[in-house]
Amino acid sequence: MDYLASTGVLIGIYVILATSYNLIIGYGGLNTIAHPIFFALGAYAAALLAIGTGLPAVLCIAAGVGVAAAASAALAVTTLRISGDYLLIASLGFQLGLLQLVNNLDFTGGPAGLSNIPMTLGGPGRGWWYLLMTVAIAVLVIWLVHRAMAGPFGRAVRAMRDDEVACAALGRGLFTMKVVIFAFGCGAAGLAGGLYAYYFQYISPEQFNVAQSATILTMVVLGGLGTVWGPVIGAFVLVALPQAITFLQLPSSLVGPLQGLIFTTLVIVFLFLRPHGLVGTRMAGAEH
Amino acid sequence: MIDPVILLQILWTGIAMSSYFVLFTVAFALTLKVEKLWNFAQAGLMGIAFYTMFWTLNAGHWPVWAGIAAAVVVTCAVTVGVEVWAVDVLRRRHSSGLIFFIFTLIFSQFVSFLLTLLFGTEPETIFPSVMSPVRIIAGIAVTDWDLQAVGLTLGLLIALYLLIRFTRDGQFMVAVADNEKLAGIYGISAMRAYLLSGVIAALLIVAGIWLYGTRAGVTPDVPIGLILTAVIATLIGGLGRVFSAALAAVGLALLQSFSILFIASKWQTLLLYCVLFVALLVFPRGIPVWRRRVRTPPVPAPPVAAQAGG
Amino acid sequence: MSDEILRLENVCKRFGGVVVADNISLSLRAGDVLGLIGPNGAGKTTLFNLISGLFQPDAGRIYLEGRLLAGPLHRRARAGIARTWQHMRLFRSMTVMENMLVGPRDYPGESMLRSMAWTGAVRRAEAAARDRAVQVLERMGLAGAADTVVVDLPFGQQKLIGVARALMNDGRCLLLDEPMAGVEGSNYETMQRIVRDEAASGRAVCVVEHNVSFIKDLCTEAVFMSYGRILQRGSVDDLTRSRELTDLYFGTADA
Repeated sequence: MDYLASTGVLIGIYVILATSYNLIIGYGGLNTIAHPIFFALGAYAAALLAIGTGLPAVLCIAAGVGVAAAASAALAVTTLRISGDYLLIASLGFQLGLLQLVNNLDFTGGPAGLSNIPMTLGGPGRGWWYLLMTVAIAVLVIWLVHRAMAGPFGRAVRAMRDDEVACAALGRGLFTMKVVIFAFGCGAAGLAGGLYAYYFQYISPEQFNVAQSATILTMVVLGGLGTVWGPVIGAFVLVALPQAITFLQLPSSLVGPLQGLIFTTLVIVFLFLRPHGLVGTRMAGAEH
Repeated sequence: MIDPVILLQILWTGIAMSSYFVLFTVAFALTLKVEKLWNFAQAGLMGIAFYTMFWTLNAGHWPVWAGIAAAVVVTCAVTVGVEVWAVDVLRRRHSSGLIFFIFTLIFSQFVSFLLTLLFGTEPETIFPSVMSPVRIIAGIAVTDWDLQAVGLTLGLLIALYLLIRFTRDGQFMVAVADNEKLAGIYGISAMRAYLLSGVIAALLIVAGIWLYGTRAGVTPDVPIGLILTAVIATLIGGLGRVFSAALAAVGLALLQSFSILFIASKWQTLLLYCVLFVALLVFPRGIPVWRRRVRTPPVPAPPVAAQAGG
Repeated sequence: MSDEILRLENVCKRFGGVVVADNISLSLRAGDVLGLIGPNGAGKTTLFNLISGLFQPDAGRIYLEGRLLAGPLHRRARAGIARTWQHMRLFRSMTVMENMLVGPRDYPGESMLRSMAWTGAVRRAEAAARDRAVQVLERMGLAGAADTVVVDLPFGQQKLIGVARALMNDGRCLLLDEPMAGVEGSNYETMQRIVRDEAASGRAVCVVEHNVSFIKDLCTEAVFMSYGRILQRGSVDDLTRSRELTDLYFGTADA
């Protein structure tokens, strides 16, 4: 049964990632794919603080959120003046460059990662406590994103996505809006990273590579860009279905690739059968 | 002072090593130019081409030419299949760039997982040994592999140039790249040009992964890394300029090679991403030559046009 | 002059080697409806882009109500430059009302936190903006379309929405880029009425338009531009009678 809780925590973490990413790419129309690096920064910052200082988990995770949000501001200030495909590639460069750094520095554990992250919330019900907490945080993030996008701020953000020039010509300061949603979304990714590090107690650079970018991007696009429930459903389906084969008791060398195959097959099938996402959207992102 | 022979050695090895890098870059830049497609699916093609050669030559004990031929056939077939059954469908739906990005990347991942399932994650090479006979020319070590790599790459690039310059299909390809609709009016089939560019890219990829796989170990994850370097070279070379992308690839390979004089080799890849990032910041809308063609500023009409057009 | 709204002084702009605005000086007073005419590429829309801040001029100054106008698009919009676009540039995924509500100069949702907290100030500003939007839409005869997604409206009505959205900016300078192209029938009359009303209410209106009959219907004055220069300013009738300009423009135009 612990396995179920584990899957639940993973789904919750991906719901946080997909929802916060949706804020940036779905509502804001900012084509970055660097979201995993903020996930990674949150995870690494929390883990390193926990290992090095033994501060309470809440503080370590909060520091992870801060680091992720600060790094997002760095990326925002340098690259948000470019748009479209270039932003996509620039963000990819930012992500892979930082990941190389993590991979080669000593204090981050290099390619082997960090595996001595202290246990919090020990005891028999650990998984379920974590699940409860992750679900609560995921619900909070969904609610915050929904709340932000339903009001006048969100209206301006959607207007910016539809037409940047027209939006600016009506008096809306695009740059501030971009930086704000970027910092908020990436901070949430950092939060997901902190939860991930504390729950799984092991992080390594390869968990945050391009494949991860594709995974989160796919959850949002296939779920429904710029919808509240699309990314939630996308995260649920794309995490839960590949996990289902774990019950088949296959050798572990087969499980990884098989899960990957199921995941990519699902993506390709949905891409062609549900081009507008699992939750319908009439957004400009689905058709140009 | 550093010994000039060492510098020359680094230069030569860097050039030889840049060969597959150049081939992958030209393949990527060509489909980007003709199809306007950031074709990350080419990573999947690399994997398919490599493991076809690996399997036919090692498990099947086929002759070398047959193994290469098999890789060419399989890679081209997959290229055409992806083009007809997937990319063209998305194109007719007017899908956004994001959808193409997801599809091509996920396709490569699909191939990578499939290959992991079939062949495992151990690094493999096309031949059991990657050693290659060495000769010393003017104090520089030159291997047979180096000569083969440089010769093959130059040969293919010249062939591509001749094809684009002197054959009708090559010219049609450029016409479609420049203006697909206008080309259509003149009766040039865009689909034919797309397929041709795809097949040429597939051939370059087979050649590139042949060079890579006879020199270094390949795992199902390697191609994604290779395609990313091709993307960086393409961007720095300037979009829509295939041969300058090739030059950029050589330049980046040399930069990486010479960087070992100053920094530890483990930072070479980071250097690559730094170059990319800085290049994008300095040219936020792409390299200038490309920009001029795309962002035409409003130009007052000459008097004749004004009178004629009103 | 006290009721001068917009003044351009020696504004210049070149792209590469091409001069698109050549030493342009221009003045607009409250109540003016000035037409900008001239051949394709004469620099009419470019002039709008220079005033509204999409491009920064290479030289020259622009004043709005006596104050220097500078900075990027959004600052000038807040200073009081309201403009429309030839291709409307509506927010395609949003309803008519949502499009309108992005427009006010004092926007209640600039801050994400205040927007989320839904403070009293934000609530009141939203309500005021909504009232204003309903009023503008009623004048356009489009109040019934408030909750329609803009792309579902017919072309002529989309054109009106483009103008309506700009009117949400209560600044005193209104720039209309080809408001009548493709607009027919009752929508045409509505547009005409709206433009006159806005001028009468104290705005300075400037219109780029290819259709000379519309310029005649509407504008008090017109300016003829060619190669980024203002060749002549006068009544529309004077301009259409001028031989030189007729040769350049009207001779073969479909007007």
